[in-house]
Amino acid sequence: MLFSSIPFLYYFLPIVLLLYFITPKALKNTLLMLASFLFYAWGEPRYVLIMFIAVIASYILGLLTENENHSGRRKLWLTLSLLVGFGMLCYFKYVDFFITNFNAITGLSIPLLEIALPIGISFYTFQLTSYNIDVYRGDTKAQRNFINLAAYISFFPQLIAGPIVRYTDIETQLKYRTHSFEKAAYGIRRFIIGLSKKILIANALGELCDIFKSSNDKSILFFWLYAIAFTLHIYFDFSGYSDMAIGLGSIFGFKFMENFNYPYISRSITEFWRRWHISLGSWFRDYVYIPLGGNRVNNIKFIRNIFVVWMFTGFWHGAAWNFIIWGLYFAVLLLLEKFVLKKFLDKHRIVSHIYVLFLVMISFVLFNAADIKEALVYVGGLFGYGAHTFVSAEFYYYLRSYAIVIFVAIIGSTPLPKKLISRITAAEHVEPIFLAILLIMCTAYLIDGSFNPFLYFRF
Amino acid sequence: MKIKNIITVFLLALILGVFCIFAILKPQTRFSDSERRYLEKFPELSIKTVLSGEFMKEFEGYTLDQFPLRDIFRGIKAFSEQNIFLKKDNNKVFKAKGHLSKIEYPLNENMIDNAVDKFNKINDKFLDVSDNIYFSLIPDKNYFLATDSGYLHIDYNQMSEYMKNKLPYMEHIDLKENLSIEDYYYTDTHWKQENLIDVARIFADKLNIEIPSHYTENQLTEPFYGVYCGQYALPVRSDTITYLTNDIINEFKVTNINDLGKPEEGVVYDLTKAKSKDPYEIFLSGAKAVQIIENPTVANDRELIVFRDSFGASLLPLIAQGYSKTTLIDIRYVYSDAIGYFVNFKDADVLFLYSSIVLNNSSSFR
Repeated sequence: MLFSSIPFLYYFLPIVLLLYFITPKALKNTLLMLASFLFYAWGEPRYVLIMFIAVIASYILGLLTENENHSGRRKLWLTLSLLVGFGMLCYFKYVDFFITNFNAITGLSIPLLEIALPIGISFYTFQLTSYNIDVYRGDTKAQRNFINLAAYISFFPQLIAGPIVRYTDIETQLKYRTHSFEKAAYGIRRFIIGLSKKILIANALGELCDIFKSSNDKSILFFWLYAIAFTLHIYFDFSGYSDMAIGLGSIFGFKFMENFNYPYISRSITEFWRRWHISLGSWFRDYVYIPLGGNRVNNIKFIRNIFVVWMFTGFWHGAAWNFIIWGLYFAVLLLLEKFVLKKFLDKHRIVSHIYVLFLVMISFVLFNAADIKEALVYVGGLFGYGAHTFVSAEFYYYLRSYAIVIFVAIIGSTPLPKKLISRITAAEHVEPIFLAILLIMCTAYLIDGSFNPFLYFRF
Repeated sequence: MKIKNIITVFLLALILGVFCIFAILKPQTRFSDSERRYLEKFPELSIKTVLSGEFMKEFEGYTLDQFPLRDIFRGIKAFSEQNIFLKKDNNKVFKAKGHLSKIEYPLNENMIDNAVDKFNKINDKFLDVSDNIYFSLIPDKNYFLATDSGYLHIDYNQMSEYMKNKLPYMEHIDLKENLSIEDYYYTDTHWKQENLIDVARIFADKLNIEIPSHYTENQLTEPFYGVYCGQYALPVRSDTITYLTNDIINEFKVTNINDLGKPEEGVVYDLTKAKSKDPYEIFLSGAKAVQIIENPTVANDRELIVFRDSFGASLLPLIAQGYSKTTLIDIRYVYSDAIGYFVNFKDADVLFLYSSIVLNNSSSFR
């Protein structure tokens, strides 16, 4: 089920909220778990069982790990839990990628399995494995209450597109959390802002990207318009979803970590990745980069660590070579900054902003390509390769038609609107009315619209 | 505790709660007048449809179609697109020079080739080289509207040239010089019959027939809201449908061939359609596979066979005055292979009369 859908907004959410707040405290997590399984089953009726089995395995293996004193067997239980989590991920997400490449290398024709990817599997398997690793490390106690663990993994606000919530971050909240008008109002505010980012901005920019892709009249300037539109689209789509997740969490009394912090105002790629998909970056930092030695090793190992982490980061986003190249592209940039560019970027403010936006935009063109061939065509198109005209009628038309959306999106990706809105809505009654208008507008766009996919659902 | 927080919670809870209850309790609406389509019904609920995900998918469509105050919400969206985001179009529908229209772009060569292929097959199967075969491409209103207003549109001249090259055995009749945007309804894709007298004369000259110049203009009292009104979703001024009569047209005998191939009596102007979902259907009763207009007032034995779309419905009664028999065929509703059952092409003039919009979307040609 999509947050930005009528069944969620006007059927599922009001009913779940009503039931949640009239349910006794002791049963609230049970209700959340049941609602979350329903939420997941709505989109993936066949795969809800897979998720349930994964939670059971994680629960049992967590308890076995904690209760085991023998270090070898503790490792065994941890390895088993990682095999379950990553095994599932490999099977559903990567098996066809491996078969395709194996066939290409060996000349064999092993048939592809063509398994549909369960939505959100990349997110919930990362949560499960982080839980088992934390239990193994002794960073947290194993959860003895199955309902609580299942509610944590399946909690619908963050289930299918993050943020990747760590068990250690909400362990206490699962048992002891408070509800208040302040938290609920904050949650509503974040949810509606996120919903508006998704429906009013991201969907419009997504439409523009689709128009470009299906156009037979691609000019160089149209390639640039597409690159700008997609760079903004992916930010508003994904950060909008995170805002909605954080907002819903707050309404139910949870506090999730922030996932985005105005990444497009960064002055280096290093800073960009501290501000973009923060929960994924910190997961790879804590469970891959630091165990490999992080930066407290010699330069050769440091370079290896960076390449390993970024190759996996790219691969996490999709089972295709362009995602791996996308990850490695950032590895190269991060190393360049570390060894060469850092001082230069620190000194030149405007150049550093342009540098980040340019390289990030190129990266997202690469990211959004169907395959390497299309990636080369699209990146080449930006620089005039491919016999494209400089400008076309379609470019003019869509530039004029989407100029305001793009302008709003550019301004909206900076902290400016937040400051502006907090000033405007300082008066008691303005903010609720503003939020109500946004909700009505979003509803109107949903009813009359057709373009509404979430990009990160495929991960 | 801030009062703002309490108001926020209660106001938003009120909106969600009220629409939730309203959506659950509201009786289903069967048909949307503004969108001219049937709305989704509550889907079948069974273990099979749930497990396959079919129920959930259809339920989403149902909630969108049956949402309370749907037309008002569509209007809010259209207003926002037009006045806040300053979008040039809303779902491809736009308003320019007071006219509503829809972007038809780009020129789809595959679809045009499909149409050409059908026309060639008809020619090969039924027509002789000695037959008088004509082709006329009706410009869609964007040809007159979109260029000046900066909207994307099909290049009519390019399409016209393409058709001339692909159909060299037909004589091409050019209409664009005798049409302007004023000849089309404000809110609909079609042209106005009362403005087609000069266009009919061009055909008369080419086809070498005599047609009169004098008609009585009759207006429908009901306002006409064309096909784009519902899609535009904002208030617009209505059109008026005017239809032309004279002593010759009044004597026409119209026969419609029904789906079973049986003849049924028809009329030139079906006034029962004036209050229907699409009042333009007063012209020859709207979509029909095969229709025959017999004209007892003319002394010649000439016959005209027209392959046509809905634009022809308002023009052809004017041209039919010059023939003793005119047969109208719409190959979107009848297989072109089967028309030999209804039509004898011997010694007849043959006209292919199509709008650029229909040719650019010819997948429904049979």
